[in-house]
Amino acid sequence: MSALLEIRDLRVTHEERPILDGVDLTLERGEALGLAGESGCGKTTTALALMKLLPASFRQSGTMTLRPPDIEEPINVERRTEAGMQVVRWRHVSLVFQGAMNSLDPVKRVEHQVAEAITLHERPASAGDVRARIDELLTTVGLTPALGRRYAHQLSGGQRQRVMIALALACRPSLVIADEPTTALDVVMQAQILELLEHLREQLGLALILISHDLGVLAETCDRIAIMYAGRIVETGPVREVFAAPQHPYTKRLLDSLPVIGGSRELAAAIPGGPPDPGDLPQGCRFRPRCPYAAEKCLEDPALREVRPAQAAACHFAPWAEWPAAHEAAVEGAAG
Amino acid sequence: MTDLRVRDLLFDTWRGRIGLGVLGLFVFLAIFGSAIAPDNPTASSLDVLAAPSADHWLGTTENGEDVFSQLLAGARVSIVVGFAAAAISAVLGATVGLLGGYFGGWTDRTLDAFENWFLVIPQIPLMIVLARLLEPSLTVLIAVIGLTSWAGTGRIVRAQVLTLRERAFVERARALGASDGYIIRTHILPNTLPLIFANTVLIVAVAILSEAALAFLGLGDPTRISWGTMLENAFSSGAPSAGAWWYVIPPGLCITLLVLSVSILGYLFEEYVNPRLREQHA
Amino acid sequence: MNPRWLAGKVAASLVTLVFVLAFNFFLFRVMGDPTTQLARLPRASPAEIEKLKSYYGLDKPITGQFLDYAGDTARLDLGISQRTRRSVWDEIKDAIPWTLLLVGTGTVLATLIGAWLGVIAATRRGRPADDGLLGFSLFTYASPEYWIGIILILVFAVWLPIFPAGQQMTPGEDFSSWFAQAADVAEHLVLPATAMTLMLLGQYFLIMRSSMVDVLTEDFITVKRAIGLPWDRVVRQHAVPNALLPLVTLSAIQFGIVAGGAVTIETIFSWPGLGELTYDAINDKDFPVLQGTFLVFSVAVIIANLIADCLYFVLDPRVQTS
Repeated sequence: MSALLEIRDLRVTHEERPILDGVDLTLERGEALGLAGESGCGKTTTALALMKLLPASFRQSGTMTLRPPDIEEPINVERRTEAGMQVVRWRHVSLVFQGAMNSLDPVKRVEHQVAEAITLHERPASAGDVRARIDELLTTVGLTPALGRRYAHQLSGGQRQRVMIALALACRPSLVIADEPTTALDVVMQAQILELLEHLREQLGLALILISHDLGVLAETCDRIAIMYAGRIVETGPVREVFAAPQHPYTKRLLDSLPVIGGSRELAAAIPGGPPDPGDLPQGCRFRPRCPYAAEKCLEDPALREVRPAQAAACHFAPWAEWPAAHEAAVEGAAG
Repeated sequence: MTDLRVRDLLFDTWRGRIGLGVLGLFVFLAIFGSAIAPDNPTASSLDVLAAPSADHWLGTTENGEDVFSQLLAGARVSIVVGFAAAAISAVLGATVGLLGGYFGGWTDRTLDAFENWFLVIPQIPLMIVLARLLEPSLTVLIAVIGLTSWAGTGRIVRAQVLTLRERAFVERARALGASDGYIIRTHILPNTLPLIFANTVLIVAVAILSEAALAFLGLGDPTRISWGTMLENAFSSGAPSAGAWWYVIPPGLCITLLVLSVSILGYLFEEYVNPRLREQHA
Repeated sequence: MNPRWLAGKVAASLVTLVFVLAFNFFLFRVMGDPTTQLARLPRASPAEIEKLKSYYGLDKPITGQFLDYAGDTARLDLGISQRTRRSVWDEIKDAIPWTLLLVGTGTVLATLIGAWLGVIAATRRGRPADDGLLGFSLFTYASPEYWIGIILILVFAVWLPIFPAGQQMTPGEDFSSWFAQAADVAEHLVLPATAMTLMLLGQYFLIMRSSMVDVLTEDFITVKRAIGLPWDRVVRQHAVPNALLPLVTLSAIQFGIVAGGAVTIETIFSWPGLGELTYDAINDKDFPVLQGTFLVFSVAVIIANLIADCLYFVLDPRVQTS
């Protein structure tokens, strides 16, 4: 069965600096993929590149193929013109943007903006049909249809986020990308939104790409997870497997830094240093300067390869059966 | 974003160099214009409204005076009135803004009402009224323009002072027992000076235009030549209908170029002072 | 519309109006004391001066005089023109329609063209079109409007005699119909209106451009693109409506400039409006008329500000529901 989404060797540069450096991703129909990584590693850029929404100063290359179940021909995004993309956007893939605070036009009512998306991609029979669809969407995300008459500033943060989700579903896409849908929300709201997304997935058979720097959020909702670092995917795999047996040092350190309730009272180990500057990338493995296990071999670029069943990692020393004591290796490796 | 220095802005950008160059030229003329003029600007002759020639590079006026000489001499009034009036406006505006913003309460409310009034009233008609009531002279012009142009500066300064007032270093100074005067002088004022300066440069442009307009309407200093009075004389003597373009175009062009150069510099400083504006131009 | 908000704005306008009256009054009474001007009358004996004083109410205390003045103004008794001996209000009454015609045409054209150019510049930011328009608007801002008017006369009325060089109608013509007369006025309106439009164009252009640039950086613009809206629709249906809001408030500040421009442009074109009335009053030191036109200009600006506030209220749902 062909995958819903296949991204091969996606590269994005901005003024000669690489932002994405060969990203490969696959997503099956109805699957939930988590995209994790620190701020600035390229998660949002990947989403925008997929929809060709990057500003003109960004150059992108690579193939991105969409195979929605409700159409015959696959969509080769990289070959589509702007006009061609306008047909694809929202109809087959939609995006819930980071920060819903300012994602709605302040001078138009909510329902107008949802209707706008609907009428752009469908030929509904009448205004009544559109109205019915809007009410249905709002109800699906847990809002009363009356809220549609309101303006954005009259809604709370949580309500606005739900509206953006309703908007994302308006044209019945087969893929929804949610970019940090729970950041800027309190914990209670977070849980509700995640529950909603999960529920929608089941109900509508949506595929979901969930972007977040919060591993806990991804653990709950996703089937598979992809870890990004410095513009590349460094590990992918089923979420349970990756969490139980990470195969890349970066993943390992990320997981280590999660506080565990009931665990030891040690201070969570932060990863020393910071992500590399795109204009000044290290030779070979991007993580090498911060990796406690780095060695000579790491001056060579590691490819993303399958190291365990269904799990891939970009590390020369994967598969890791177990992880050596960090501080020993740190003394040797960090100097490298 | 690199931390630009004023010097870099002025000398390393096209805008800075052109602005500075043109302004420098006019300041030079303001000082030496009369001295280097080929003829006495008020020397009348029988050669009335004559087209440009070897004798008179820009032709003559309705009294046979040399237009080019008048043009050179006229720079002084514009420069002097422009900068002097802007200086008065800056002092007034800064004072009102500082006092109102810092002390708040009734002081602020009164000063703010006062300021709003000046912002609402149409400026040129107000200047006309004031200038006509007093007998027109250079001093009157400077005073009238200065006294009516300060409100914009006042408002900007007040906003800045309001934010500064709440900052930690001010609270600390107060806790240490510093007097209001001391705080204003050593903490608030230095931080608002760049803002005042940038804004005042733009006021210079407004002041130059205002002086020209008042002079054109007959409220200029009758004992001095200015570009505005040149235009007034040209107009009332029928130069446009006579097609005397040499008389009519140069004075207005000089006003425009001077105001342009000052404005370019003013916007440059404004960008420097307000980082948000800098991002927009990037 | 929220009545309490409206009442507040009207009240504020009235307060400003009272201050204008007071200012006008004190300025002319205190600075241009009529008794000294009366004293300039040839062969006026002290007794006659006293009589005139009491006639003008100058022997009352200042507050009494002010109330008289306010009352007179309310009844549109603004004094007598020293030049024409007609009532000031009559002079003003005749002049207002002409000024409205000129200023109205200029403002409308400047707003429409300026806003349109502003959108163009903002959507082509940093490119030649933008730089060119910025340069053009800076030039029109820096150039005196009366100088532009003179050049227009020179080019389009003297060298190329297409338009009349002044006045509002061809003098002495007998018009066969209302329409023919209107056409004649329109022909005379072209050059002065062009001067006024050019004067204001730069401001509106800059404001709209800046406003659009701000709006185009907002998140919801990217969202509209993401939905699949073509860019021209994104600009037209979402960017422009949001950019118009600051345009309304910011251009309210420009109303004072319009008054100044009216004076100089009407002078150049002998356009029989308030501006030319002011110019004549300046030359003749006709203080009652000066006082009158200043009052009318001030009131006009206050009203224009009030209209702008109401317009903003109508356009911005965020203000409506607060």
